[in-house]
Amino acid sequence: MNKKPYWVLGLIGILAVIIVPLIIFWPKSTEKADDPWAAVPEHPIHTSHADIIKGPFETGQEVTKNCLTCHPDAAKDIMMTTHWTWESKPFVVPGRDVPVTIGKANQINNFCISAQGNQKSCMACHIGQGWQETTDGQEGAFDFSKTENVDCLICHASSGYTKGTFGNPADTVDLLAAAKSVAAPNRAMCGKCHFDGGGGNGVKHGDLDESLIFPSENVDVHMGKNNLNCTDCHVAENHVIKGRLVVDNYYIEPQEQVSCQQCHAEKPHDDERVNLHTESVACQTCHVPAIALKDPTKLSWDWSTSGQDLGDDHFTYLKIKGNFVYDKNVQPTYLWFNGNLDYRYILGDTIDPTQPTYINKPSGSIVDEKAKIFPFKLHIAKQPYDTTYNYLLAPITSGLNGYWTTFDWNNAFELAQQRMGLKYSGNYGFTETYMYWPSTHMVQPKENALQCAECHSDNGRMDWKALGYSGDPINYGGRFDNK
Amino acid sequence: MAEGLIINKMGKMMKNIPNLLRNKKLTSPAALVSIAVLVISLAIIYGIGLAKAPVAATPTISPIHPVFVLMDADGKNVVDSGNPISTMKTCGECHDTAFIESHSFHSDLGLSEYAETAELDSSKGLFGNWDPITYRYLSQSVDEKLDLGTAEWIKVYGARLVGGGAAATSRAGELIAGNQSLLGVEKSVIDPVTGEVIAWDWKKSGVLEMDCFICHLETPNISERTTEIQNGKFGSANTATLLGSGVVERDGSGFSWNKEAFSADGMLKKEFVTIQDPINNNCAACHGEVHTDVNEPITISACNSEYPLTYTTGQIISAQKISESGVNISNKAEINRSWDVHAERALSCTDCHYSINNPIHSQESAGTSPSHLEYDPRKLTIGEYLTIPEHNFARGQSAQYLVDSEKKGTMRRCESCHNAQVSHEGWLPYSEQHMAVLACESCHISQLYAPAMEMVDWTFINANGTPGSLCRGISDSGNTITDLVSGYKPVLMQRDNIDGSTSLTPYNLITSWYWVYDDANGNKRPVRELDLNKVFLVDSGYAPDILATFDTNADGALSSDETKLTSDEQVAFLASKFAAIGLVNPRIEGQIQPYNVNHNVSGGDYAISDCRTCHNKDSRIGSAIQLSTYVPGNVKPQFVTGNNVNGSGDVEVTETGSLVYTPRNTRDRIYIFGKDAVMGIDWFGAFALLFTVLGVSGHATMRYLTSLRIKKEPAATKAVYIYEVYERFWHWLQAVSILALVVTGLIIHRPDMFGMFSFKNIVIIHNVFAGIMVVNAALSLFWHLTTGEIKQFIPRPVGFFDDAIIQAKYYISGIFKGEPHPFEKKRNQKMNPLQQATYFALLNVLLPLQILSGSLMWTVQKWPEITEIFGGLNYIAVFHSLIAWLLASFIIGHIYLTTTGATPLEAMRGMVTGWEELEAHDDEHSK
Repeated sequence: MNKKPYWVLGLIGILAVIIVPLIIFWPKSTEKADDPWAAVPEHPIHTSHADIIKGPFETGQEVTKNCLTCHPDAAKDIMMTTHWTWESKPFVVPGRDVPVTIGKANQINNFCISAQGNQKSCMACHIGQGWQETTDGQEGAFDFSKTENVDCLICHASSGYTKGTFGNPADTVDLLAAAKSVAAPNRAMCGKCHFDGGGGNGVKHGDLDESLIFPSENVDVHMGKNNLNCTDCHVAENHVIKGRLVVDNYYIEPQEQVSCQQCHAEKPHDDERVNLHTESVACQTCHVPAIALKDPTKLSWDWSTSGQDLGDDHFTYLKIKGNFVYDKNVQPTYLWFNGNLDYRYILGDTIDPTQPTYINKPSGSIVDEKAKIFPFKLHIAKQPYDTTYNYLLAPITSGLNGYWTTFDWNNAFELAQQRMGLKYSGNYGFTETYMYWPSTHMVQPKENALQCAECHSDNGRMDWKALGYSGDPINYGGRFDNK
Repeated sequence: MAEGLIINKMGKMMKNIPNLLRNKKLTSPAALVSIAVLVISLAIIYGIGLAKAPVAATPTISPIHPVFVLMDADGKNVVDSGNPISTMKTCGECHDTAFIESHSFHSDLGLSEYAETAELDSSKGLFGNWDPITYRYLSQSVDEKLDLGTAEWIKVYGARLVGGGAAATSRAGELIAGNQSLLGVEKSVIDPVTGEVIAWDWKKSGVLEMDCFICHLETPNISERTTEIQNGKFGSANTATLLGSGVVERDGSGFSWNKEAFSADGMLKKEFVTIQDPINNNCAACHGEVHTDVNEPITISACNSEYPLTYTTGQIISAQKISESGVNISNKAEINRSWDVHAERALSCTDCHYSINNPIHSQESAGTSPSHLEYDPRKLTIGEYLTIPEHNFARGQSAQYLVDSEKKGTMRRCESCHNAQVSHEGWLPYSEQHMAVLACESCHISQLYAPAMEMVDWTFINANGTPGSLCRGISDSGNTITDLVSGYKPVLMQRDNIDGSTSLTPYNLITSWYWVYDDANGNKRPVRELDLNKVFLVDSGYAPDILATFDTNADGALSSDETKLTSDEQVAFLASKFAAIGLVNPRIEGQIQPYNVNHNVSGGDYAISDCRTCHNKDSRIGSAIQLSTYVPGNVKPQFVTGNNVNGSGDVEVTETGSLVYTPRNTRDRIYIFGKDAVMGIDWFGAFALLFTVLGVSGHATMRYLTSLRIKKEPAATKAVYIYEVYERFWHWLQAVSILALVVTGLIIHRPDMFGMFSFKNIVIIHNVFAGIMVVNAALSLFWHLTTGEIKQFIPRPVGFFDDAIIQAKYYISGIFKGEPHPFEKKRNQKMNPLQQATYFALLNVLLPLQILSGSLMWTVQKWPEITEIFGGLNYIAVFHSLIAWLLASFIIGHIYLTTTGATPLEAMRGMVTGWEELEAHDDEHSK
């Protein structure tokens, strides 16, 4: 009698006959393989430095020296970055024979205008300490090569650290306690400078403000719902942090820039029609439908009314600064944008005072295949210019005997001539300037993203003709349709 | 827009006349001027600032429409004559206005089909089709009592009349203007003060011409036009539409044309030519809530005539997300969909409801073109079209508004634009069958988020003359902002489609109760509102005897409960009151109107996609809808007939006294798996199963007990190789398949009992096992035929019954006494006579029938007509479950009988290993 369990083979055969067709006919999962989390970097577990760091520290430089005993390359790494230099790499720009650099160190914006000459207060956001108001090479000038001038605490102190004048620690700071609190930067630490740019919370960017320290899902889906940190997208390696600010650059290599595609697919939507948009519309256009969602941002700044005793109010008028308009929940302006600038105002460029002057002009047009429609915050200012030389002026404001002390424009421009070398004819006026800030934070989940009718309707937010279309592309066709 | 909606809005308008008159003050010329002055001065103050800002929303100047002369009825330039404009003359300069008027159901409103009748409805349109919600009745020429004469019909419904057609033409089809042979009802009205019938002076009022401006201006002045109509100034209503455009102003009781708006040659200046194609707001003016500004939260009042789309069905046309709306909707934050996906995707009304000879919307209506032609390029040119634009617009298949019914179904339907097979591929099983039975709307409009009308009760009017009414989808009947809006699920009813097919389609049901009487000619007529007021009311409120009879708690007022007619005595009392004012045979009738729901479509995310929503005992398909919380006069309402909706379900009073309609899909020959189990069959099947279980248990118990008593040495056995490899293989494969089929079949049959399983996946498993089972059966049949083993299955006729009786006796008695099996199981004779008979029946009857019925259920997807031959799923599915019960019973018996071998598990072991220990019979028996 056959006792061997050959029947097991039969059982396997039967199961195979059942399982194979079931697998074949089982409904196929339509889930996409797109997993944005895969690209989010893993952060090492933080080692508390509370027991490692021993004081005492008299100056900020001593703290940095202490840091460098264990992190010897940190300061050298920092010194390679624009966080330190406040200048871009040199660009060849139209109308200039020699390459120029752009940055807070040497150029102006249309908010507080110039950091140069106003180091006293502007250096509160520099990653160094002791940057005096002197020209390079003069006695007491800031030494960019001294590693101890790097300020580790401005980014790494998680509590108890504030800057005073010239980028030095404020007098009230307990340097030992601040040094013991060091950690990897979080949103609040980056935000100390990046949320408060322009002199206060939310002033400059509109898409970056203190509401992002503990944001709800409806403020920013990445930082809110998913609790992402700045460095999850602005990936850092050896203190080189990914992402370039377009207003201080001319051309930005795509690999230097943060993009949604670091984590998300090019065409991540379920609907083909929505995916079609990605050829001409940046993710931000639909997913950042409004900026300054919680805290107001500055939309215009009129320097010409400053210097009067009209009663100070942070949101409408300050004697030292003039009139402002702030608003919340601001709908961005839309332009074609390929990631670069067409133009960046360089000190000395002549202007047409009857026309608005572009401090920066995003590059792109409907015929530029790399350009997409992109949301910007437009900041409009009335700022001083030299009516004889027809160029924008850079007043000394917070610097010694500057405008904020004397309320004398002529004096402020003459000081600038002395300290920065910007010639002043003695005649000044005010002209309108435009500055565009890309809106790329305050990203909304799909539920809050723009819907069709918000652009494709009679009262939609796009000015199709201004963008170069014959009319609403839903009727007239998109720019790639006839190819 | 659903065609029936106009009517309802007007009903409320009628009752809102006092309000409208009050509003008139706000829009009086003086007020307008002062507002204008304020606006202008503000504009000057902000002048510089405004210069850069975009221009405020003013009507767009037409980019294409040429300048033209405004003419009066005599064809003279209005600037010269100072007369009101005649649209027929003015627009008629270039467009064939006579053609337009005669090809527009917005104008005709049923007049062309008007026929006097003893029943209530004299036409199928607003002109003659009585709607109990709006109540006022267009009197027929022979009627004893006048309700609405033609002139008053225009006044009552004026806010929503385009004009022309029924408003300008007699029932005999002649122009009213200057007509000497008008019928009595055409030249009489009731004096609102005395209630007496008086003559209407058409010469003084003028006639209401078709008003082109209502739809072809961006901001027509509809309120001024309505005021003009309600004041009986029909002839100047269209001129009033232009007020505020800068072309004309009020001047005393007349109008003065603004000379600045006209060029020297008398033409309207280009900047005043704002003629346009109709936009959504134009349609919204009469049809309903269309909200185009996505950033301004929608607010509505429940069942308010200002929002008539909401009034009858709860439909709102807007791209706005429901979560962003200003309506206090239950769980609003979670409802992240737009009100209407088509509005969201930037479609406008006219994209689907287009003029049917508009060449850019050229679409062949099915069946009118030769079968070999895909597309007929011979269309009107744009110029020809602009001369004779058909103003009968493409329309759907609503249950109301049946005028000009041959135009029904001309509209784009879902399938004209969508390829549903593609979008449902891969996830919806049996998609063709689903789409054959269901309208797209059934799943894609599963929920209305705004409240809608539920019932209107005219049997007992309120002290202010309005009817009792109920609103569905809102927590309270009030209109306060805190009332929680829950919306409602429309009821699914069988609709007869234009193409002859039928489909389950969502509807709101509005039920109304009202008094009717027989007039002097024996015609049934609704009791006039005038007479209702006469019976119920005096100046100060309810009449004393009404109050005395119905004020049961004697508090001097009638609460809403006291105004519900619940007892026969109350009805009789009111009937006697009506009889006292001369109404013959006064009685209560009730009717149910289905209002179709076609808008507020959702995309896939919010559509019904869980199988168990419908395939369950509490199926969505059979969901009841409440008709009313009480039954006025205990009169059961009837569905209105003559439409395309089949109210085949039951109208029943529940234990709480409310009236509900429950659809009965099986009456529409629709069988739904998981819902429509026939209880009798299930009881029979369960009984058969139970009987078998009891039988084998009893048998087993007796075997056990007797085996204890009779200690008998087991019979000598010998090991025999009895089952070949293939036999064992097919047997076990079949065993697993059938068992799986029974279990999965049961889950599909009663998903309400097996909630943990995915219905869809279970259906797939069932179908796969069915496939395995059928193939296995076929291969095994082939094997048995080719090897000749089939012979073992065929009972030998000779001596069969004798042998069968011997075997039966063995099971009944021998087995308990430990007797040997009467027939020896051998390699070439495995089965005893009873087994042969059983398998013969099983394999020749039950299994083929089950395979056949199952196949028919499966192929209903592709070839429903074959299933129809056998009576459709209603029979096939029931039959399939009956056989399944019998098969399940067989399995029980079969498994039990395997234990009757040498030892209880021996037969089972034999089927596994092929070797079985069998009783060693002597040769004599084993021949």
